[in-house]
Amino acid sequence: MKETDAKVDYNSHQLLLYVEKNNGDYGPFQTGSYLTKNYVDDFWDKQNKFVLDARKKLVDGQISPIRYFMLLIDISEAELATRIGISVKEVRKHQDLAHFDRISVALLRKYAAIFDVPLADFFQIPVVSDNGLLCKHEKTMNPFFTMASIVEEKK
Amino acid sequence: MSSVEFTHKMSAHCESGTLAALLNHKGLPITEQMIFGISGAFFFAYLDTKQFTFPQFVVRSQPGDMRVHIEKRLGMKLVKEKFTDPVNALANTDDLLNRGIPHAVQVDMFYMEYIPKYMKAHFNGHFITVVGKEGNNYLVSDGYYPSIVTLSSEAMEMGRFAKGSLAPKGFTFYPESVKSASDIDWKKQIYAGIKQVVFNMTKIPIPFLGVKGIRKFANEVTKWHLKTRDIDHLSHEITTIHIILEERGTGGAGFRFMYASFLQEASKLINNPALSDMSKKMMENGDNWREISLFVARISKNRELDAGKMNELKNMILARADWEETFFKELGKIVK
Repeated sequence: MKETDAKVDYNSHQLLLYVEKNNGDYGPFQTGSYLTKNYVDDFWDKQNKFVLDARKKLVDGQISPIRYFMLLIDISEAELATRIGISVKEVRKHQDLAHFDRISVALLRKYAAIFDVPLADFFQIPVVSDNGLLCKHEKTMNPFFTMASIVEEKK
Repeated sequence: MSSVEFTHKMSAHCESGTLAALLNHKGLPITEQMIFGISGAFFFAYLDTKQFTFPQFVVRSQPGDMRVHIEKRLGMKLVKEKFTDPVNALANTDDLLNRGIPHAVQVDMFYMEYIPKYMKAHFNGHFITVVGKEGNNYLVSDGYYPSIVTLSSEAMEMGRFAKGSLAPKGFTFYPESVKSASDIDWKKQIYAGIKQVVFNMTKIPIPFLGVKGIRKFANEVTKWHLKTRDIDHLSHEITTIHIILEERGTGGAGFRFMYASFLQEASKLINNPALSDMSKKMMENGDNWREISLFVARISKNRELDAGKMNELKNMILARADWEETFFKELGKIVK
């Protein structure tokens, strides 16, 4: 690939490609991400639809919060089980709403760490009326307790 | 506050970039493409296992392999350590920084706070270099970013002690000593790296590895619609082909451009014009893989994911498999 073909003007996502320079040498060339520049809007469209669909299943009581977050971060049962240190069978059970209330708080904390969410997010979805805002939980010294504030969303 | 004098450079790939940066810091001038080529990291595998939510393909050897082969082939001594206790791991990092030693750590990418939301994914095989500390934050050289980034101690601990596949277990390494460039038998080590790639791409008798893996990928991709929820899901997975080939630390075209750069540099270093010819061919091959990347991005966005387009994609990938089989056999003869 020629250097001129690799050039993408997109500062917020830079990467390094290997290209043919003008003098015929091959080597690294810093440029913008072609995909992010041209396709990130489509990614967010798909993602937003997907999240809304998963959220509907959650609020309709079809899936447990564990399943909901598994879908959101796209993690398999096998990988999640290894990370938590329990069996795949147990992870499967925890995705079922009927078994959700049998999960200990200690285990929920492990799930929360892998999903990178506060414990509170297993029991609520804060909804803000304006687009571009979200409810952010700040950790406290108490591992079971977070402080929630409304902030601008950073993508 | 502690910080080490360290030259941060962007790299195409995290492991080759980290190794190149640390070796340069220690006094061995070497490029990322030479690390990639000499370590024999060029690879292809199509993976459809329970560990993933959807079939994946990888275009390089397993994380950690580059380090192992580079250590052996370039005759350096690395200090390597794993930890069970995060407190000890962070204390070790602080101690190394106080001694002025930049060091690589293996982390789960998911916990790197500087990564944008759309790129967050659990992957335990990411390598970064720790170069300083300011208060509760570490200063980190991550080759995927144009400048030094910061990472909280908490995120560092989460990243280094994530469990799951390829769990880092607090792993850290840095070069204790390196050979001088004149003491390295470059021809022997370049050939060793190439031979390894030739073997991995053409001789492993497993149907999902090497060029066989590329063929399997080509054939399987036409069945992906049977594994997806809807057209948006299929579009997402097809876009992932572009991400793996171009954006996930390959230098473009699934490492083909970087490998062409390696062959060109190797040709000059050991004065072997045949490798230069092969580098030109590999660059052209990379252009054809890049065509695949652009094709999948386009059909994904336009949702042109009918059988006709998927067959077109299959044939484009199969053509690369055939081409690479011939190429690597020819390359094997050159380094015999």
